[in-house]
Amino acid sequence: MLNRRDFLKLIGLGGVSTGAGFVLKEAMEPPVAKLIPYLVPPEDTVPGVANWYAGLCTQCSAGCGVITKTMEGRAKKIEGNPLHPINRGKLCARGQAGLQVLYNPDRVKGPLKRVGKRGEGEFREVSWEEGLSILSGNLKDLTNRNEAGKLYLLTSALRGHLTSLLVSFMDSFGSSNYFQYELFNNSNLIYANSVTIGSGAIPDYDIANTRLLLSFGADFMGTWLSPVRYARSYGDMRQGRPGVRGRFVQIEPRLSMTGASADEWVPVRPGTEGILALSIAYLIVEERHYRGADAKRWMDMLKRYNPDEVAGEIDISVRKIGELAEEFVEGGPSLAIGGDNLASYDNGIGNLVAVNVLNYLAGSIGHKGGVLLNGKDKTFKRKSVPYAQLTKLGDSALEGDIETLILYNTNPLFTAPSGMKLGASLENIPLIVSLSSFMDETTGMADLILPAHTSLEDWGDDFADHGAGYSVATVMQPAVSPVFDTKGVGDVFLALAASLGPGFKKDFPWRSFGDFLKDAWKKIYRRNRGSGIKERSFEDFWSRLLAAGGWWTPSPKISGAVNLSVGKASSHIPSAAAGFDGDSDKFPFFLTVYSHSAFLDGRGANLPWLQEMPDPMTSVVWGTWVEMNPKTARHLSLKEGDMIRVESPYGEIHAPLYLYPGIRPDTVAVPIGQGHTSYGRYAKERGDNPLAILPPRVDTRTGALALNSTRVRVFKSTRSGKLVKMEGSARELGRGIVQTVSNKEFKKMGKEA
Amino acid sequence: MVHPKAMKSDITYKDINEDILNVITKTGSGYYIVLACTSVLTVLLYFLPWAYQIHVGQGVTGLNVPDLWGVYLVNFVFWVGIAHAGTLISAMLYITNTPWRRAIARSAETLTFFGLILASMYVFIHMGRPWKFYWTIPYPNQRMIWLNFQSPLMFDVFAISTYFVSSSVFLYFGMIPDLASLRHRVTGWRRRLYTFLSLGWRGTDRQWYVQGRACMYFASFIIPLVVSVHSIVAWDFALSIVPGYHKTIFAPYFVTGALFSGFAGVTLMMSVVRWFFPVIRKYITELHYDRIGIFLLVLSLVWSYLTVMEVITGLYTNTSQEMESLKYKLLTSPYSYLFALMIFSNSIVPLLFIFRKIRKTVNIMVVMSVFILIGMWLERYLIIPNALSRKFLPYMWHDYSPSWVEISITAGTFFFLISMFMVFLKVFPIISLFEVKEDSIPMKGGGGH
Amino acid sequence: MPGIIDRLSKRLKAYRTPGYYKKYDYHWTMVVDLDKCNGCAACVVACHAENNLPTVGKDECGKSRAFNWIRIERYVEGEYPDVKVKFIPIMCQHCDKARCELGCPVYATYHNQDGLNVQVYNRCVGTYTCATYCPYDVRRFNWFTYKWDEPLDQQLNPDVSVREMGVMEKCTFCIQRIRVAKDKAKDEEREIKDGDVQPACVQSCPTGAMVFGDLNDPNSSVSKLAKSRRTYRLLEKYNTEPSVIYLKRVMDGSSKGHEERHHV
Repeated sequence: MLNRRDFLKLIGLGGVSTGAGFVLKEAMEPPVAKLIPYLVPPEDTVPGVANWYAGLCTQCSAGCGVITKTMEGRAKKIEGNPLHPINRGKLCARGQAGLQVLYNPDRVKGPLKRVGKRGEGEFREVSWEEGLSILSGNLKDLTNRNEAGKLYLLTSALRGHLTSLLVSFMDSFGSSNYFQYELFNNSNLIYANSVTIGSGAIPDYDIANTRLLLSFGADFMGTWLSPVRYARSYGDMRQGRPGVRGRFVQIEPRLSMTGASADEWVPVRPGTEGILALSIAYLIVEERHYRGADAKRWMDMLKRYNPDEVAGEIDISVRKIGELAEEFVEGGPSLAIGGDNLASYDNGIGNLVAVNVLNYLAGSIGHKGGVLLNGKDKTFKRKSVPYAQLTKLGDSALEGDIETLILYNTNPLFTAPSGMKLGASLENIPLIVSLSSFMDETTGMADLILPAHTSLEDWGDDFADHGAGYSVATVMQPAVSPVFDTKGVGDVFLALAASLGPGFKKDFPWRSFGDFLKDAWKKIYRRNRGSGIKERSFEDFWSRLLAAGGWWTPSPKISGAVNLSVGKASSHIPSAAAGFDGDSDKFPFFLTVYSHSAFLDGRGANLPWLQEMPDPMTSVVWGTWVEMNPKTARHLSLKEGDMIRVESPYGEIHAPLYLYPGIRPDTVAVPIGQGHTSYGRYAKERGDNPLAILPPRVDTRTGALALNSTRVRVFKSTRSGKLVKMEGSARELGRGIVQTVSNKEFKKMGKEA
Repeated sequence: MVHPKAMKSDITYKDINEDILNVITKTGSGYYIVLACTSVLTVLLYFLPWAYQIHVGQGVTGLNVPDLWGVYLVNFVFWVGIAHAGTLISAMLYITNTPWRRAIARSAETLTFFGLILASMYVFIHMGRPWKFYWTIPYPNQRMIWLNFQSPLMFDVFAISTYFVSSSVFLYFGMIPDLASLRHRVTGWRRRLYTFLSLGWRGTDRQWYVQGRACMYFASFIIPLVVSVHSIVAWDFALSIVPGYHKTIFAPYFVTGALFSGFAGVTLMMSVVRWFFPVIRKYITELHYDRIGIFLLVLSLVWSYLTVMEVITGLYTNTSQEMESLKYKLLTSPYSYLFALMIFSNSIVPLLFIFRKIRKTVNIMVVMSVFILIGMWLERYLIIPNALSRKFLPYMWHDYSPSWVEISITAGTFFFLISMFMVFLKVFPIISLFEVKEDSIPMKGGGGH
Repeated sequence: MPGIIDRLSKRLKAYRTPGYYKKYDYHWTMVVDLDKCNGCAACVVACHAENNLPTVGKDECGKSRAFNWIRIERYVEGEYPDVKVKFIPIMCQHCDKARCELGCPVYATYHNQDGLNVQVYNRCVGTYTCATYCPYDVRRFNWFTYKWDEPLDQQLNPDVSVREMGVMEKCTFCIQRIRVAKDKAKDEEREIKDGDVQPACVQSCPTGAMVFGDLNDPNSSVSKLAKSRRTYRLLEKYNTEPSVIYLKRVMDGSSKGHEERHHV
C-alpha cells in the first residue's frame, strides 16, 4: 500500500505539475481573453441589455426608418422603425442586410493612395491628414489656376441635408458641377406625372384600398419606389378589409416576384404595355364609362388604339383586353400603376403617361383606392437625377473639362451600360477621389480613396418621397462607433473647407457634420410643424427626434380635381411599340434586364446574406442566370444549368440557364446586380453583368436610360459555370402543400362567417 | 461420446490437433506481408479519413439536408446483416444438431463477432459528435438526464449490444474445450492466454455437460435475438413516416436480407480460409457449400418475393409521395441502374443454386456470394439515401452521392475485417476442434449421408 | 385497483390526445396567411440576422447545406401562359406530435412547457435521426465549424448560442425573444400580452402575412385567425399536429392543391 513517503512524493508531483500546467496555460492563452471587454462599461451600456438607435435605411431610396439593436457597442440587428410611417416596423431583406455593410470585411479600412497604374488596384495606406492634404492641395491648385469649375462631384441621389452641404460647398468653391446618378431613379415617372397630373411629386398609390390593381410591369413589392410600404399595402388589399379582397393583375413580359402574387398574369409583348393601357382606355371611353365633356375628343385620339387593331401587336386577345377594361371600370375603385419595367423602354414616358391616362379616364385619380396626389413640398428641393447627367459628365471628361472628380456612393462603371464607354472618359480625369466605403469598380479607378462611414456610423437625414401620405423626415445617427478608420462624408467636406483657407472656412463654421445637421434642424424646429414632437426647447426636440427617428406630418394633398387635357396627353403617349436595337432576324429574343430584389442595382452583391438568400422566383443563390421559357429551351435543345452565351449587338455575357415558365417564349431575362469585377470577396466571380451588353439608348424626352431596348441571340457557351439553386422541384405534385380556395369559395366563407 | 464412424475415418484426432495448431503457430512470411499490407491499407483508407472527418466535420461526406443518412448507415445495416448469419447458422444448426454445421460454426461466429464490431464502428463514424457517444448509454448522472426509449435508435443500442455480448459469449463458450486442449501444445503468451481463458477446463463429464447446456441456452436465446435485432434495425427506418421507409414489411424484409447477405458472407469467409490454409479443406468441404447453396436459394426466393411486395405496397398506396419515391428509386435517380444490378445479383444469379453441380463448385460459389453481397449492399443503398432524396416537400428534393471519404472508409472496412480476422487466426482456433472430433468427420464429397 | 387503472388510462389518454399542451401556460402558434405572402424573403434574412446562421457559400449551397431555418418554397402550376405561382414560408412547425422527438435517442429535442419543440444543442450527438424523420425538412446540421470573416463576427447575437460542429439545429420560434418577454412580464407581474413576442421573421414580414401569439389566449390575434375557414396545416394527414397554421391562398384555377391527387 501507499506509504507516507510515496504519498508525499505524489503530492509534490501533483503540486508541481499543477503549477506547471498553470504557467503553461497562462503562457498559451491569447492576450485578450476576457469575457466582457470592459470592467467599467460606458454609461449607456449594460452588458447583455440591448440599446436601440433609430436611423435610416440607405439600402435603397425608399427611405424606410430603422432601429438598430446594439449590445456592448456593437450593432446586432436592424429592424424597421415601428413609428415610421413608410415601413411601420417592417423591413425588407436588403434593409436587414444593411448590417453586413457595416461589418463587411471588404470595406476600405482607411485612406488609400494609388501607387500602381490607374485601375490596377495597387494602393498605399495613408493617414487622413495626408489624404486630405492631397485633395485640398489639388483644390487649392484649381482655385489658383482659376479652374474651380473643373471640380466635379458625383454622388448617389442623396436627399437630406448632406446634399445642402455638398451644394453649398460646390457653390462656395465656384463649381456648378454637382451631379447625381442612380440607375433606378424614377425620373421618367416624375416627368410623366408632371406633364399629366400636374405634380412632379411621386403620388401615393393607394393599393391598400383598391379593388382592382392593374400593374404594368411594376415590381412594387420587390424594387419599385417603396417596396416595404407597398408590400404592406398589398397585404391590406388582399386580406385587410373584411369581406373585400382586391384583385390584382400584372402585365409584363416576364413574371416578376410581385407578379407572382397576381391573380392573373398578362404576358404582353415587350414594349407594348403602354399601347395596352391606351387600348383599355379606348374601351372605357367607348363604353361611355368616361363621362367628361371631352369624351368625344378622347375617343378620337384613342381610336387608333382600338383593340381590334392593336391586339396583334400586343400579343393578347381582343377578348382579354375587353375583360380587363370591364374589370377596370366595374366595382371600383381601381388603380393602374406603371413600374420600372414599363419606364425602361425608349418610350418609357409615353407608357407611364398612358397609365396615367387610363387612371384619369377611369376616374381613379384623387380617390381612395386610386392615385392620391401629394402636394409638392417646397421645403426640400431635390435634384433631378437623370442618366443624362452622367452622359454629360462623361462628355466633359472626354473634353478635358474635369480636373478633379469626387465620387460618393455611386458606382457608374458598374451601373451604366458599357456602351457609354464611361471608363475611357474617366481615364481623362487627372485626379479621381472616391469617398466610397467599398472598393467597387469606379473606386478602383480612383487615385485617392477617402473611405466614408456607413449609415450606422454617421449622421444624416432624409426626406423620402412623400408618397406615404405624410411629409417624412428621417434622421440618422451613429449607432456604433466607426469600425474602421473612416470619416463621415460631411466631415470630409467640412475638413476640406477648413483647409481651403479662412475665407472658405467662414462659410462652414461647423466642427462636424453632426453640428451642421443640428443647426439645419433648428430651422425645421422653428417652423414648428412636427406631427408628434412639440417641445419647448430645441435640445428637447432634438433628443425626442433622435429617439423617434424623425418626424412626419400629413402632407398637403391636392384634392380630386385633376384635369388632363387630350392635347397634353396626346403629345406624350406612345405612337408605337418601343424600339429595340438589333435586327429581329439576327437577334430573335427580347432581353429583359430587371432589378433583383436582393441586389437592386448591384449594391447588395457584396453582402453574404443577400447572396445566400434564394432568389424568390428561381431560388438561385450566389450567382447570376438567364431565364428562358422551357418551350424555347426545348426548341434550342438547351437544358437547365447549361452555360448560355447571350449576345446583343453590343457584346456578350455568359450565364447558366434557368428554365422559367413565367416568361414569354420570345424573351430572355437576366437580373441586374451580379457580375462585379471588384466589389469584395462575396461579389466576385458571380457571373456577368447584363448592363454590359445594353446599348446606351435613352428616352428622348428625359434622357433616362432605356434598359429594355435591345434584342439578343443565345447560344450554348463553352465556358464552365454552375447554376446553384435551392429548389429540388418546382412542382407540387398535388401534395396539397400550398392549398387554395377559389374566389367563389372565399366569398361564400365571408357570408357564412 | 464418440461417433463410431470417426474411428474409421482417415482423419485422426491428432491430425486435427496438428492441422489447427499449424494454422495458429506456423506463420510464413506471406502471412506477415499480407497482414502488413492490410493493416497499412486499413489505416490509410479507414482510420485516417475518419480522423480527417472528425477533425473537419461531417461536411466531408456527401450528406446534405434531405439526405442525412448515407453510405455510413448503409454500411451499418450491411454489417449488422453480415453479422446475422454467422451466429444464426451456428446456433440454429446447433439446436437442430445438424452435422455439417461443426466445421463452419467457428468461422461463422467469428464473422458475427467482427461484423458487429464493424457495424458499431459505423455508428460512431456516422455520428456528428462521436466523442459524445456515451450519451447514448444509460448511466446514472446528476442531472437526471435519461434516454429516449421511444427512439428506435435507442432500441438499436440495446439490441446490438445485447447481440454482441451474447454472440461473443457463445463464441467463447464454444471455444473453451479447444483452448483447453491446445494449451499444452502451445508455448509462450498463447499458453498463458489459453490457460487463463480455458478456465481450468479438464474435460470432466460435469464440465462437458455444463458447457453443452450453456451453448444450448445461448443458441436458443440467440435465435429470437437475431430476428429481433434486425427487425429493430428495420424499425429505424420503418418507424419514420418517410415515403420509402414507412413500411410494415421492413422487419421481415430486413431479417431475410440480413440472413441472405450473412450466408453469402459466410461462404466467402469459408472460402478465404480454405484458400489461405489448404489444410482446412479437409474440414470445410463441398458438402458445406452444397447446403449453404440451398439456404441461399431459399433466401433469395423469399427476398425476391419481399422485394416485389415492397414495391407493390408502395404502388398500392398510390400517393404522390410513395409513387415519386418509387419512381426515383427505379427510374429517375442517377443510381437507378443499381436497382437492375441488385435484382440481377440477388434474384437472378442465385437461381443457379438450383443446380447441385454449381452448389458444389467452390469457385462459382465464391463469385455468386460476391454478387449477393454487392446486391445486398445495393439494396440498403437503394433504400436508405434514396428514399430521403424524395421526401414530402418537392422543393427540398436533393440528390446524394458519397464523397471520397465515405467511399474510402467503406473500402477500408474490408481491409480492417481482413486484418482483424488474420490476427484472430493466429490467436484462436478457426475450426472447432472438439466438435469436428466428435463429428462423423469425413465430409468429403457427400459422404456421411 | 380498477380505480388506479382507470386513472392511469385516463392520464395516458390525456397525454395522447391532441391539445394536451393546453394545460400549459402558452401554446405558441404562428399563423401564416398565404394570401398575403409575396415570397419576398425578408423573413429569411431576418432569421439569418437574429439567429447567428452562417452563410455557407456557393459550393455548400449547391450541396443543399444552406442554413435556412425558414425558407420560402415556391411552387409553379401550369405552363405558359397560364402560369400560377404560389409561395409558402416553411419553418419548424413545432409539431405537438413531432416525429423528431420520437427519433432522438438522447432527448436532445423535446417538447417544452410552452408547446415548443426545442433543440438542446449541448445534448445533441448528431445521429441525424430527427432531420431524417422530419417531414418538413426544416432541420439543419452543422457540417463544419463555421467561421465569420472578421469583422462580420461582431454582428453575432449574444442572446443566441453559436452552434458547434456536429449538432443539429432548427427554428426555435425565436425562443430568446420569448424568454425576454417572459422576464419582462414577470418583472411587471403579469402574463405575456398578445404582441409582446414577435419572432424575427414575423417582425420583419412586410405584408403582415405572419402573425405569432398564444393560441391558449382566446383573444389573441392568432386565436382569432385560427378560427378562419381558410386554415389548414402542412401535411396535415400525417398527424403531426403542427403549431403553424396556414391560411389558404385565394386563387382561381389552381389545380385543387388540397386534394391528394392520385397519379401513376
